[in-house]
Amino acid sequence: MADQQSLITDEHRALVGKKSDPVRVTVKAEDASRMRDVIGDSDARYVDGTGIAPPYTLAAIGGGRAGMAPMILPNAILTQQEWRFSRPFKIGEELDAVSQVIDIRDRLGGRYGYSILAMTSTDYYDLAGEHVAAVLMTVTQFDPKGIQERGDS
Amino acid sequence: MSQRYYEDVNVDDEIEPVEKLPTTDMAIDFFGRDNPTNPAFADAEAGKRMGIGGALVPGLLKLSWLCQYTSDWAGPEGKVRSVRAAYRRPDVADRPLLLSGRVVEKRQEDGKNLVEVEVVTIADGQPSVRGNIQVELPGRS
Repeated sequence: MADQQSLITDEHRALVGKKSDPVRVTVKAEDASRMRDVIGDSDARYVDGTGIAPPYTLAAIGGGRAGMAPMILPNAILTQQEWRFSRPFKIGEELDAVSQVIDIRDRLGGRYGYSILAMTSTDYYDLAGEHVAAVLMTVTQFDPKGIQERGDS
Repeated sequence: MSQRYYEDVNVDDEIEPVEKLPTTDMAIDFFGRDNPTNPAFADAEAGKRMGIGGALVPGLLKLSWLCQYTSDWAGPEGKVRSVRAAYRRPDVADRPLLLSGRVVEKRQEDGKNLVEVEVVTIADGQPSVRGNIQVELPGRS
């Protein structure tokens, strides 16, 4: 793999740093409720009727981040994630999500052989323009044929 | 869930481990049955084609468990401020996951009592997710 040529093109690199137009999203009661049930979360702050969604509802909010980074290799797996919260989510509130590609880079070696790391972010603002939360995620794109046989999967 | 106060927390305090058993149903329900997700979350064969060895446990499900785990430890007045995680190994559905945590830092900043907890999920004796979660705790005074 030492002579692997980068599959990242100038066209891909040109995507880095460009911010999306705001995408309006809603913090949905059904998402919060369903996720609480799956997680087994009985925290009284988030039960139905409180109007507050648990922080991990962020996993369901979306906002246009998916698809921002180009798919260069056939498979992708989430490898790093960061959530930041400026305040709790309110059930039913609308937020504007602004996403961008932070970085696209090659990686040689490791579990996936030649892979591509695509880092994207989304910031969520309430309708008053105040920051509510942010997501930063790194997805590793890989070709299954490149996975090294390590017997640990 | 009992309240934890900043003054009572020390670096190297350990959080009692909790075991979770992720299933393919959980993976689908977590995102909603009507929402498209990675086919490998529900289909062991799709996971195997990705080189994972079975149905893949969603990273966001594990992150949410770690978030809840730390939030429960912090108590009803604790606030999760940030969550950072690195997914080191894929996890396969129907295999138990052990969540554990340890306090690695505490400090006061802008009048807030901040505690950094290092968290990890362990499957088959190996760490699969490592992360840091920052919580804000109330003080006793």
